[in-house]
Amino acid sequence: MFLIEKPLPAITEDGAPYWEYARAHELRVQRCGACGHLRFPPSNVCPKCLAEAAEWVRLSGRGTIYSFIVIHRPQHPAFQEDAPYNVAIVELEEGIRLHANVVDCRNEDLRIGMPVEVVFEQVKDDVVLPKFRPRAG
Amino acid sequence: MAGPERLRDRYAIAGIGLSRYGKVPGVSAMAFCLESSVRAIADCGIARDDIDGVLCLMPAQMGEQHGWASRVAALLGITPRFCATMDMGGATPIGMLQTAVMALDAGFANVVLCTFGTQTNPMGIFPMLFGSPWTIPYGDIGAITFMAHLARRQMHEHGITSLDYAHIAVQWRAHANRNPTAQMGKKTMTVEDHQASRLVAEPLRLFDCCLFTDGGGAFIVTSAERARDLRQTPALVSGLGQVHSSEIIRPWDDGKGGGAEAGAQAYRMAGCGARDISVLQIYDAFTPRVVHDLVAYGFADWGEIGELARTGQLTVGGRLPCNTHGGLLSDGHLSGMNHVVEAVRQVRGTSTTQVPDVQLSMVTGYGGAPHEAPPTVAYTVAILRRP
Repeated sequence: MFLIEKPLPAITEDGAPYWEYARAHELRVQRCGACGHLRFPPSNVCPKCLAEAAEWVRLSGRGTIYSFIVIHRPQHPAFQEDAPYNVAIVELEEGIRLHANVVDCRNEDLRIGMPVEVVFEQVKDDVVLPKFRPRAG
Repeated sequence: MAGPERLRDRYAIAGIGLSRYGKVPGVSAMAFCLESSVRAIADCGIARDDIDGVLCLMPAQMGEQHGWASRVAALLGITPRFCATMDMGGATPIGMLQTAVMALDAGFANVVLCTFGTQTNPMGIFPMLFGSPWTIPYGDIGAITFMAHLARRQMHEHGITSLDYAHIAVQWRAHANRNPTAQMGKKTMTVEDHQASRLVAEPLRLFDCCLFTDGGGAFIVTSAERARDLRQTPALVSGLGQVHSSEIIRPWDDGKGGGAEAGAQAYRMAGCGARDISVLQIYDAFTPRVVHDLVAYGFADWGEIGELARTGQLTVGGRLPCNTHGGLLSDGHLSGMNHVVEAVRQVRGTSTTQVPDVQLSMVTGYGGAPHEAPPTVAYTVAILRRP
């Protein structure tokens, strides 16, 4: 029996801390050491001021749904058993937009503007994916 | 004039060619490049040995292809002095046209061949997943997810509906039904068919999506003077525009983002406005892209889209005939090479859905890497003029 597993995040030097913090159930991104701009996706260079220095700061984990789609025909066979499943773009209070699944919510109940908060889902022994669930506005 | 306006109408597309296209298994992407190139050479009657520049769109589905354009040149028996493989996705055909014009004007080439070929089942090559580490683990994979979000936002902010998309898809299909080489040329589509087609990435349905196509296309760019001495009516390159927009820098594109700037560049270079355009080929990988370009390039307001599509304004006799070959939705997905070819046919008067008295024929491209992090979007625009 040939089992196709879901692809895991490809982890590189600049992105590794994001996933390490996720394992500790913290949502963190880089804040530029020079201009204070919050970087996402992670990068070794600030797209605003080109400084390299940055510290990883913890985000509120709260945001609202900016957009959502429901995937009926996955582009990867490992997601077939989950279909139809949602992917939302969540706009965090800090202004960053993340793509993630919204859990604990029926697809037909999803709405643009819906308040959500981060949850952490263990998908492998050493891999945790930040996802979102509805919260009281 | 120091700006690109000084290049207005000085260069032209002299020759065009499409290979066989549709479901054509077992033919390599390279073979489609060569087949379409030979047809473009024959179309305008240029001597093969006069071609000294070669540009290619990298076949993305096959992953990185080292020296692709150089290999195309070698297999055509050309030793170019200017050669490059370009990677802007569906923005590349017009990007190649712009690069060719720059090379010609700088004197680095006299005749530039631009070509592309794709095989959707490239044997022995593992297809790449479209997406980033920030999307793929969530099952957010492929070109369609970004477009489904675009549709969701168009519906939320501007009241666009799935029925609006249906009328666009049906109009394009009617054009394809008149085009003997179109992949969907023999299959008709009704609004009901569209609405009954299965959901792929909600709110998008199957008939909101482009086709999977094997095939290739080519065109030949040279000076307007030289093109006049060749076999066909030259399509003068009047306006060109290009912008690469990133979500880090700009808010999520609402239809007035980067595309509007590319359009403004092209209109300025051509010395015209949206109202002067006779016919338009939109990069229609998914139906929301059509809506986007109609708004971004100044052809319609959000509130008019439904009526335009519903009342036949997007075909011959209407306000703005579009995608007269059937588009990526119904002619075939040749990454927009077929759009450039159709824009040239409209200038020549040889389209199977010909618009009478075409003066300015416009074509848009769209690509970049919307599925990557950060999402980046490449917009390209070309305006062609009948001499």
